[in-house]
Amino acid sequence: MAKLSPDDLVVFLVAISTMLLLSRFASELGRKIGLPIVMGELLVGIALGPTVLGALSPAAYNTVFPFTTNEHVAIALDGIFSLAVIMLLFVAGLEIQLSQVIRQGRITVYAGFGSMVLPFVCGFAAAWILPQVFAIKQADHHLFALFLGTAMSISALPVIARILLDMKLFKTKVGMVIISSAIFNDLIGWLFFSFILSLAGKNGGSTMAIGTTLVSITTFSVFMLVVGRLFLNRILPWVQTRLSWPGGVLSLSLGLCLLCAAFTESIHIHAILGAFIAGIAIGDSVHLREQAREIMHQFVTNFFAPLFFVSIGLKVDFVQHFDGVIVGVILLIACIGKVLGASIGARLGGMNWYQAMAVGFGLNARGAMEIILGSLAFQAGLITQPIFVALVVMALVTSITSAPLIRFFLRERPCPAAG
Amino acid sequence: MDDDALKGRPPFPFATIGVAMAFSSSRLEAVLTEAKALAEIFQARLLLIHIGERTSAKEALLAEILARLGGEGLVVETIWQQGQPVKSLLAICKQNLVDLLVLRAKRREKGLSYYLGSVVRGLSRAAKCSLLLLTEPTVSGTSFKRLVVSGVQHPKTIGTLKTVTYFAKGVGAEEITVVTESDQQGLAMAMAYDSTANMSTNVKKQLSGEEARQLHALVCRCAPCEIKVSEKLVLGRPGHAIRQYAESVAADLLVINSPDAKYGLIDRIFTHGMEYILENLPCNLLIVHSRVS
Repeated sequence: MAKLSPDDLVVFLVAISTMLLLSRFASELGRKIGLPIVMGELLVGIALGPTVLGALSPAAYNTVFPFTTNEHVAIALDGIFSLAVIMLLFVAGLEIQLSQVIRQGRITVYAGFGSMVLPFVCGFAAAWILPQVFAIKQADHHLFALFLGTAMSISALPVIARILLDMKLFKTKVGMVIISSAIFNDLIGWLFFSFILSLAGKNGGSTMAIGTTLVSITTFSVFMLVVGRLFLNRILPWVQTRLSWPGGVLSLSLGLCLLCAAFTESIHIHAILGAFIAGIAIGDSVHLREQAREIMHQFVTNFFAPLFFVSIGLKVDFVQHFDGVIVGVILLIACIGKVLGASIGARLGGMNWYQAMAVGFGLNARGAMEIILGSLAFQAGLITQPIFVALVVMALVTSITSAPLIRFFLRERPCPAAG
Repeated sequence: MDDDALKGRPPFPFATIGVAMAFSSSRLEAVLTEAKALAEIFQARLLLIHIGERTSAKEALLAEILARLGGEGLVVETIWQQGQPVKSLLAICKQNLVDLLVLRAKRREKGLSYYLGSVVRGLSRAAKCSLLLLTEPTVSGTSFKRLVVSGVQHPKTIGTLKTVTYFAKGVGAEEITVVTESDQQGLAMAMAYDSTANMSTNVKKQLSGEEARQLHALVCRCAPCEIKVSEKLVLGRPGHAIRQYAESVAADLLVINSPDAKYGLIDRIFTHGMEYILENLPCNLLIVHSRVS
């Protein structure tokens, strides 16, 4: 069996610990001045990657992160980063409560649809009308257009939840509508993105490939969300009371996550879909104890998330690939599509204009989810580095501006409590 | 029937109490006894409703039970009708201005019957009048000593609380606990990234405190009564948390608001709110239908 040599292992461990320690340090600094934690992690990646360290001292960069000079360590790190993105999607799924969308009723349907459809149309149209801006090959044109539409329509549930919590809006009607709509966006968005990724793997996609992929995604999702979810709901109380606590439930959850990820990867849909759906099936169970949920979140967000977000900076040169025009276009269509779509939807659902605009800006925060989505698309060859950089910038800008803009539209207009 | 008569009609007093009769049930006499007792307490007209074929055997059985029950001075009417049970019962209740419909309900519908929907569950999901679901009716009468009421933040809740007070006085309840459910969904995710231990504790305290304050304000809006009323905040998903609480305190009656919209199959698959209670009744259930304009 091939294995890491002792020297390789040292490099591997040093790389991991450097990423973890520095990202924690940067995130804590960022927290003091109110910046999203993901920003600190990205900045560490940029500092350690080709943008700064690689440019100033290529030897030091290649020693700590030998992606091109040591194949064994590169593969080991890639394995960790792949596992990280799978785990991130798993915990994202944990917070998708399908009943929450149903419970909020009409207003969520309107806001949810509005915040998906208009951004999707904007993204798709921009990619279709302005291919020269994005410098995308003609052969990949339609897939890229689908991707950009999806990227514009996704939301970032963790960032949104945190913003609402900080603003004491978490349990208000506006807060619940934002959360439910974000759940709706994420659910549809990630399902559709899995579909796009699968097609990218099949070189564009014949009608046959599209049909097979759609059937596979639908069958797997429906099976897991109906049969799998009911089954988990039955066994979770037993697992949590009869097996070791919290070991039993953690093993079951993480094991199921990886099994589902392996399954979807094996049927040529990306592993993230399996992890995401497994997260929903487990997290939706009323029997999953809050403590178990907290442990999974803490483990993933404090170990895997920093590694993943630092790794982004390690792989991409943000200075060289920064294109002002692409950043401007993506930022513009992202904000216009999301804010208008969600606001109009919430207004049609019965909210007043101020509240509807607050919903719009709340859902506009893209955060870590957009970066994960962009990273996967970049790995799959769907987008170029300048587009990826633009998506990262857009995710950060929308996350930072979301809270003050919600505050602006809700100031001195008390929000009713959620019913 | 004049539709205006129903508009804004308060959920109490109970002027007309209906009782859905199933002749196949071994507890028919028990249900009728309970309904008769309630009609006497609240001085209501008693409407006996049977959806199904009218046969001489059924008539004879009913006459025999009524004779045993007595009930002099009570206004009793019987309606026999054929048709789809849920729709027919809803229509009869509407036409006759029934304020409270009494039914016998199984604690748990087994297997597919829960998803397909029984008459009692079907009525509960589409109730247009208040319903009293009795899980263990007896000929000696059920005692309603300990009442647990949902204090959810909703315009209907104040009507529900007032109805409960009225009901509790009538049946001689000893204790009413108004419960609010605090759903912590999303909190683990929101706090996982960059919260100190103090911050997490404070946020949880602040959320719980806010909900407890809202509950207290709600209870204060109800007229004071001689029955002991306490407030309780339980953590968990709405519907499920209160069901568990009612079970844990061995409540005699759980009281909730009627649903805003009709619950369907999708609500049973992706269970939420009232469905958690209907899935497995913890005790007798009173669904109060307040007509909020």
